[in-house]
Amino acid sequence: MVSPGVDLIRRMAGGDHEALAAFYDLYAPLAFGLLRRMLRDVEEAAEVLQEVFWELWRAAGEYDPRRGSPEAWVTVRARSRGIDRVRSVRRREEMLVAPLSETAAVPEAMANPGALVEEREMVRGFLRELPAEQREAIALAYLQGMTQSEISAHLGLPLGTVKTRMRLGMERLRGMAGSRT
Amino acid sequence: MSAAHEPFDELVAGHVLGALEGDDARRFAAHRAGGCAECERAIGEYHEALARAAAAFREAPPARVRHALLQRVGEAPTRRSRAGQALGWVASVALAASIAAVVSASWVRARYEVRLDQLASEAAGLRAALAQQVQTVSDLRRQLDEQEKTLTLVKAQAAAQERTLALLGDPETRLVSLAGLAPHPQAQGRIIWNARAGGLLVAADLPPPPAGKIYELWAIAGGKPLPAGLFTVDAEGKGSLAVAPLPGVATVDVFAVTLEPAEGVQSPTGAMYLASKKA
Repeated sequence: MVSPGVDLIRRMAGGDHEALAAFYDLYAPLAFGLLRRMLRDVEEAAEVLQEVFWELWRAAGEYDPRRGSPEAWVTVRARSRGIDRVRSVRRREEMLVAPLSETAAVPEAMANPGALVEEREMVRGFLRELPAEQREAIALAYLQGMTQSEISAHLGLPLGTVKTRMRLGMERLRGMAGSRT
Repeated sequence: MSAAHEPFDELVAGHVLGALEGDDARRFAAHRAGGCAECERAIGEYHEALARAAAAFREAPPARVRHALLQRVGEAPTRRSRAGQALGWVASVALAASIAAVVSASWVRARYEVRLDQLASEAAGLRAALAQQVQTVSDLRRQLDEQEKTLTLVKAQAAAQERTLALLGDPETRLVSLAGLAPHPQAQGRIIWNARAGGLLVAADLPPPPAGKIYELWAIAGGKPLPAGLFTVDAEGKGSLAVAPLPGVATVDVFAVTLEPAEGVQSPTGAMYLASKKA
């Protein structure tokens, strides 16, 4: 399956502004949705989104289709910039009453009936193929930027358990992806 | 997956999720640096799987982001020429790389050499200006020193003149004439004398003292000569001496000047050049 994005990235590498516009229209919703789940705040997500596509435009010449799809190229960079912002927001909010992890972490959101219904549905859609405990471990790392030991402390689980859940979840995800394509 | 690689399977998953830390992160980085095709393949496939999973979140971004991005790109300097675009992507990249290798070095050098030359000449100019300033400052300081010396001299002269005036205004002040004696009869002197305040001697037409010699003024009271100060004369034979009051001496009978060894003596030993008449 050759993504239409590959050709657009080549044209972007040649300085083609129209190719960038088309590439943005194709992939911005993917990046923006991910950033919204990570950052919650629309303004923050929009700011990071522009930064992500600016960087992609500048880095278009380095893109190698053999090393990954345009989707992966976009999401890896969006996730990376998103996590930078999540961490800076968290540092800022650590000084305030409610830490980000309490208002934004997946388990609390799911355990809180009546609130964040939309959020809950979103998270269920994400990785819905996985058992809840694997999905939880992956979501906390991928969307909240938590390290394995932070997740272990957050969930009150042994570190080894967290590592195992992550690994099993990722392997299952990869297997499904493989069988689907 | 091999059993030997198993510890790294766990690390790859943590790495892709950005959740590794400390020893785990270091261990995986070292392993990956050694080159591991299995890990690279896993990383690529995990990223693809996460990208597919993230598609669940798809959401249209605010329209202003697109506008701002395209405006920003439009304002940024173009990275490649139109000729480069016409050659096609692969060719233009290859061409750009080879041209960049050749051109960038000389371009950078030329551009920066000009700038460096400019900086160097600016620096030289500044150094010269600074040296000039330093010279000016040291000149000013020297002038100031000279003026200070002059001022000190003027002050001393003013003080002497003031003393002289004060002396002249005092009814007890006497003006005493000294006459030249045998060694140099044309010499003459005057002394303004006030027993309480002291006085001032001016001498004229005295021969300049030979090397190692100096003129010494004596105040003779009750037949006893008291040393009253040393002085010399200029090339024209003029000299002067401020004379301090002589403690315990109410009346000086005679003032006299003799030629003495340069360090002065306590009682006269040399030839007498000037003497006043006994009061």
